[in-house]
Amino acid sequence: MIASGLNAYLALSFALFLIGFLGVLLRRNTLVIYMALELMLVAATLALVAFSRYNGTVDGDVFVFFILTVAAAEVAVGLAIIVALFRQRQTVRVDELDALKH
Amino acid sequence: MTMTSAHLAFLVLSVPLATAGFIACFLRRRGGLAAALSVAAAVAVAAGAAYLVLTNERFEIGKEWLSLGGLTITFGFHFDDLAALMLSIVAIVGLCVHVFSLGYMHDDGAKARYFAGLSVFMFSMLGIVLTDNLFMMFIFWELVGFSSWLLINHWWDRPTAAAAAKKAFITNRVGDFGFLLGIVMCYWAHGTVNLTDLAVQVSSGNTIYSRAIPLLLFCGAIGKSAQLPLQVWLPDAMEGPTPVSALIHAATMVAAGIYMLCRIEPLMVPDALTVIRWVGAATALYAALCAITQRDIKKVLAYSTLSQLGYMVAAFGLGSIETREAGGSVLIAAGVGAAMFHLTTHAFFKALLFLGSGSVIYGCHHEQDIFKMGGLASRMKLTFVTFTIGVAAIVGLPGLAGFFSKDAILYLAFANDKAVFVVLALTAVLTAFYMLRLWKVVFLGAPRSEAAEHAHEGGFSLGAPLIVLAALAFFGGYTSFYPHVFGGIFSLIPEAAGQAHLVILGTSLTVLAVGIGVALALYPASAVTAGDDPLQLRFPALFSGLVALRESFDLVYDYYIQKIQQRLAMVLNFIDLLGISGLVRALAGLVGLAGLGARALFVGRVNVYVYWFLAGVVILWAFAAGLL
Amino acid sequence: MADFAFVFLAVFTVICALGTILSRNVVNGAMCLLLCLIGVAGLFVRLEAYLLAFLLLLVYAGAVVALFLFIIMLLDVHGLPAGARRLWGMVGGVAACALLGAGLAGFIVRGQLPEPRAGEVALVGASLKGYAESLFTTYLLPVEVIGFLLLIAMIGVIVLSQKSEEANPP
Repeated sequence: MIASGLNAYLALSFALFLIGFLGVLLRRNTLVIYMALELMLVAATLALVAFSRYNGTVDGDVFVFFILTVAAAEVAVGLAIIVALFRQRQTVRVDELDALKH
Repeated sequence: MTMTSAHLAFLVLSVPLATAGFIACFLRRRGGLAAALSVAAAVAVAAGAAYLVLTNERFEIGKEWLSLGGLTITFGFHFDDLAALMLSIVAIVGLCVHVFSLGYMHDDGAKARYFAGLSVFMFSMLGIVLTDNLFMMFIFWELVGFSSWLLINHWWDRPTAAAAAKKAFITNRVGDFGFLLGIVMCYWAHGTVNLTDLAVQVSSGNTIYSRAIPLLLFCGAIGKSAQLPLQVWLPDAMEGPTPVSALIHAATMVAAGIYMLCRIEPLMVPDALTVIRWVGAATALYAALCAITQRDIKKVLAYSTLSQLGYMVAAFGLGSIETREAGGSVLIAAGVGAAMFHLTTHAFFKALLFLGSGSVIYGCHHEQDIFKMGGLASRMKLTFVTFTIGVAAIVGLPGLAGFFSKDAILYLAFANDKAVFVVLALTAVLTAFYMLRLWKVVFLGAPRSEAAEHAHEGGFSLGAPLIVLAALAFFGGYTSFYPHVFGGIFSLIPEAAGQAHLVILGTSLTVLAVGIGVALALYPASAVTAGDDPLQLRFPALFSGLVALRESFDLVYDYYIQKIQQRLAMVLNFIDLLGISGLVRALAGLVGLAGLGARALFVGRVNVYVYWFLAGVVILWAFAAGLL
Repeated sequence: MADFAFVFLAVFTVICALGTILSRNVVNGAMCLLLCLIGVAGLFVRLEAYLLAFLLLLVYAGAVVALFLFIIMLLDVHGLPAGARRLWGMVGGVAACALLGAGLAGFIVRGQLPEPRAGEVALVGASLKGYAESLFTTYLLPVEVIGFLLLIAMIGVIVLSQKSEEANPP
């Protein structure tokens, strides 16, 4: 039986973070990369809540508020940028967006 | 604070510099104003010099200027009788030339630059005269060379003038190299370059330094005073305006070499003196031979200057002599006395001759060939009279200035080195010959060209200096006319006594008669035409031989520079390009290469950059795990 | 029993996350993200942070994923063409997975924190009052800054989504 203590939650959070990171690394569609980024954020919130629960404070939960807000704002702006980029380049594939190449 | 003599000396030194600076900054286009300012500065210098000299205050004062390790360079004044004499010469001739330039350069386009150059020259020359140590003298030496370049180069759009200026500067530099080596060696051997300190050093004459130092220092005089073999620049320097030739290349700058020799007289040893006297004698004879064939009035005077400088150097090289004093016989530095006396009289009559020739050139509308002049005696009376006085002085007509100074030198030569005496006497014959030739062809006879037909006098500013200098050339030989303040130097002039006196008198009268006679015989009024020189027509072989003699030095130098020095310069250039700048560029190329490498990392694709994130995470992880 | 809930939710979350990043179709990926978020909300409930679970579903799953779907459909993105794989990409991917897997294993084996027992720690702050008190006293400054950030984000999005003046050729 897997214990459900703090370490288990942290290991789960770590795993989710890794999956998100691999998504950013390996996928070439910008939207999927963005979703993987969100996954990483969620993993961070999970870790925070776990710590907050096991330390008996409310600070971690409060911080999750902020992360939530920032994530929402970031998604809005980021998707707006992707839309503008799509209008210019007609592609959302990352390996075709290399205009800053030397 | 009262004005002491030292302050006055500093003021005299710095007024021309301030003038030059002011003209250079503000009066570039105001030629008339610049001229007036420069002349005012010359007047101020003359007044200050007169005061300094006549109050008979002699002082030495120094201030530490630069201190590098054990070496201390002071900026100081050493004002003794020698400096007083030289100061008065520079001031008087300078003032005359400034006034003359007002008229001569009146229509010139770049008057401001000219007068600024004159002021810079006055500053540099006064620096040489007043300084108390060899380092400062060297600095002012170079400054004088620079102002000479500036002034020869006045009409710089003439390629001959630009080339002549470069030649003058470079030839001087060659001499100055020896000078600098001499100064360094002097410092090394004696531990000081201060002139008063050197005067108390005893030169035993046994070590190699005691011969090397005076000879190396003499190299500076060879360059500046245009002795053999560095005399090639002086005739070419006649490309500058005539007042410049009068001031710099006749009276003062070229005399700086003689002055410097007199200053370092305590360092002289007999071997060095022998070399010096023979160099001087050879220069005198060579220049006189070259002067015979010249057609350009200024070139004749230039070679004449060379010859007279040779006289001065030879006089210095003749060394000391015993004289009968009241108590017994005492050794006096007669070389110094004779050289300085001749320098004084030469400054006066040579400046007079040059300014006179300037007046002639101006009157004949810038015609310089003497065979196109003639008959000017009746048309330019003042110039004729003053020029005649100058010619009489230089050939040594009894009673005028040149007679006394030349006699002093001849007596010294007769007493110390008879071979030099013969050479100098021969040179005196030639001097009389070519000066009379010049005088006769230019002024007597009938006008041989349009320009000479319509010659006229120049006006007050051209005439007044001529009168002043003529008076000085007339009376300059009588030492009793000078203020007693110069007693320190004039007491060193050798005076012939007894039988020697008669020998010298006879010799000088003979050479005079021979020279004048031959000149008058070879150039009768009928034989002189606007075409060839009668001498050339009668003795073509002799004439071409003399011309070849004159050109020989230039040919040798030309060959050396083109074939040897230029090739060496190319080799050095190649080494520099390959080795030195190649090394630097290789290093720069490495940096560029590193830049290219960094540039290659910028792929532009975000997913590649994320791998860099991963690399960062791995490094942090390794760090945390204790692997790094 | 309590453990069983945790295990179930954990496995569910991980499988949905893998589905997000591995699915060929982008819309499928967005749906998997949604399910993943639901799983995480469940975990929050297990951790007795009920408000947060609710907020997560409301904001993240509701708004953010919806926005994603809008954009996906707006851009009308087609899936990746097959066979566009490159050797370096594959090698890099395998290496990255291996590294990160090693990291996870390392954490599990060696990176354990000292564990407080679940029952001993008092439950605190599950009420809205507790959050409000903390937010508006201790964390007032971040709240204000976040408000400012939202303002900036709004303005930025409006500016970014304007069509540019010169008509670019489509």
